[in-house]
Amino acid sequence: MIRFDQVRKTYGRTVAVDGLTLQIHSGEVFGLLGPNGAGKTTIVGLAVGLLRPDQGAVELEGAGSPLNPAVRTRLGVAPQTLALYDELSGRENLAFFGRLQGLTGRRLAARVDRALDFVQLGDRGRDRVKTYSGGMKRRLNLAAALVHDPPLLLLDEPTVGVDPQSRNAIFDNILELRRLGRTVLYTTHYMEEAQRLCDRVGILDRGRLLALDTVEGLIQAHSGKSLVVAQDERGETRRETDDPVAELAALQARGRLISFRVERPNLESVFLNLTGKQLRD
Amino acid sequence: MGTILALAGKDLRLLYRDKAGFFFVFIFPLLFAVFFGVIFSGGGGSSAIPIALVDQDSTAASRAFVDTLKQAAELDVLEAGLAEAADQVRRGKRAAYIVLKPGFGEAWGRVFWGDPAEVEVGLDPSRKAEAGMLQGVLTRYFMEGIQSSFSDPQKMRGNLQSGLEALQSAPDSEQTTWAPLRRSLEEMDRFFAQPEVAEDTAGTTDEFAGWQPLSVTVSDVAIERHGPKNPFEVSFPQAMIWAMLGCAATFGISLVVERAGGTLVRLQMAPLTRGRILAGKGLACFAAVVGVTLMLLVIAMLVFRVRPGSPGLLALAVASAALCYVGLMMFLSVLGRTEASASGIGWAVLLVLAMIGGGMVPLFIMPSWMQSLATFSPVRWTILALEGAIWRGFDLGLMLQHCAVLAGFGAVGFAIGVRAFRW
Repeated sequence: MIRFDQVRKTYGRTVAVDGLTLQIHSGEVFGLLGPNGAGKTTIVGLAVGLLRPDQGAVELEGAGSPLNPAVRTRLGVAPQTLALYDELSGRENLAFFGRLQGLTGRRLAARVDRALDFVQLGDRGRDRVKTYSGGMKRRLNLAAALVHDPPLLLLDEPTVGVDPQSRNAIFDNILELRRLGRTVLYTTHYMEEAQRLCDRVGILDRGRLLALDTVEGLIQAHSGKSLVVAQDERGETRRETDDPVAELAALQARGRLISFRVERPNLESVFLNLTGKQLRD
Repeated sequence: MGTILALAGKDLRLLYRDKAGFFFVFIFPLLFAVFFGVIFSGGGGSSAIPIALVDQDSTAASRAFVDTLKQAAELDVLEAGLAEAADQVRRGKRAAYIVLKPGFGEAWGRVFWGDPAEVEVGLDPSRKAEAGMLQGVLTRYFMEGIQSSFSDPQKMRGNLQSGLEALQSAPDSEQTTWAPLRRSLEEMDRFFAQPEVAEDTAGTTDEFAGWQPLSVTVSDVAIERHGPKNPFEVSFPQAMIWAMLGCAATFGISLVVERAGGTLVRLQMAPLTRGRILAGKGLACFAAVVGVTLMLLVIAMLVFRVRPGSPGLLALAVASAALCYVGLMMFLSVLGRTEASASGIGWAVLLVLAMIGGGMVPLFIMPSWMQSLATFSPVRWTILALEGAIWRGFDLGLMLQHCAVLAGFGAVGFAIGVRAFRW
């Protein structure tokens, strides 16, 4: 669907993206996971033609470079900053962004209705955006990205600063988009989101793509073993193991366990192993 | 074109929803035009000088003078006794009191001898500005009374005879001194005694009613033609300037707001070129300038009887001015990074342009060096272009010169703005 080929982007001496080669397949939800400043938003900017790469190329398969405005009709973007007009209603915002994408008349009206319903804002569509909660604005921001029904959606940290209810609603929206066969590039620094939503995840740090695979593949390749923590009459025991069940059975046979827990490896530990630092540093 | 219209429509809708912006673009200029139009037309209350008048003479002549002053448009006369008149002035309710002293009527009839008619004026010290005008008004009506004496030969001869009798009763030692005056009065008496003079002037005052010591003809110079027919023809072009400045500021600042709020990034992510985004903003500014100017013009024509001398030239002037202020808008959008800084710096620039361009104080009041400086303000050229079409009587060539200057200002502002704009 979209391909980055040896892309490099710098701001003065700061290297924002360093030799990124990446291909996102049609119909997948692809997660870019990295801390703040890793280069996620720059990659989105390159993907939508907002930024021009210093080296390399970005291309939408079968359409060309997003630097060409006509190619951008195939993209929908929900920027990290809420990019909405507070003095317009939700419906007016979507109608405006739809018109910019070439929609008119009944088709525009139908798409606006569908987008509002998709993010569960159908009953608030006529209210001005300035009366919306932060979560509602985030959902409308998402609706503005998909009002023209693009095949590729770029969602830049779409859950920043929202309440749990709206966050779950956005998760449901993304899962529904995957079910509908849309391609999604999803950037986040929340490990849980990437693990829950994404088919494949790229680990990004300081502009470099450190690893790329499915969540399970990343964990197996970069995370090490599960940790079993058990408490018996003699005290606490911590064991790293590939087979936590067998390890627990062995501990139980040694003496009566008072309590235990198994810490499975996750993307956090993947990131820690790859970079030597916590994801939220 | 559809996307540019969508961008412009969005901006106009946002302007309509922004109460402060809407006020400064649409309402403030209208209030400005009406306020200053009313002030300069003398409306909104009488501009007559309020005086109290005391007639201590109570003769036919003094009563006639009192009636004359009561009918004078320049004065608001309250007839009263001296105590009440002085009290009215003390309380600030009247600018002055005037007392026609005893003997006023008799002295008024004597033109050529004796003590003059005596009038006492008591002024409110805080209203000295009106004193000069009051003195002028009193002199005018007093002289009109004397002038009417000359228009009646019989009355004139009576005055002359009284004068001659008074001279004859002077002591012998003074007869030589007064001889030249006596001879003059006798000549004048003979002149008024001629039958043809008496016939020519009998029953009419035409011959002498126009008597005046000096004839002065005053005419306004406005490119051969005429000045404004009413003050609103001056105040409405000024108001249009403020509306245009408001549009330039509002839309210039809105570009900064869009950048700070992130919507500008979203617009760039849409299938639009940057040129189209700026064209949409420019079209919105152009439409707002034309719209508010038309609104002001319609109100001026329907309510305040403003009649543009040349509607065609006015359309040309408005279109050129709109282009100029679109360019100015683009220039203003690069003056600040935040809404507050853009607004502050932008309005500071506009106020200076308005100040040196005659948008606040008429150009003719300014010192000559400032009038020269005004050449560099688009405000000056806009005012001249608008007034040129409304009442200055510009021809097409002159109007095109002004329009070219306005378009030039717009082009320079737009070029600087586009070059310096930080996306």
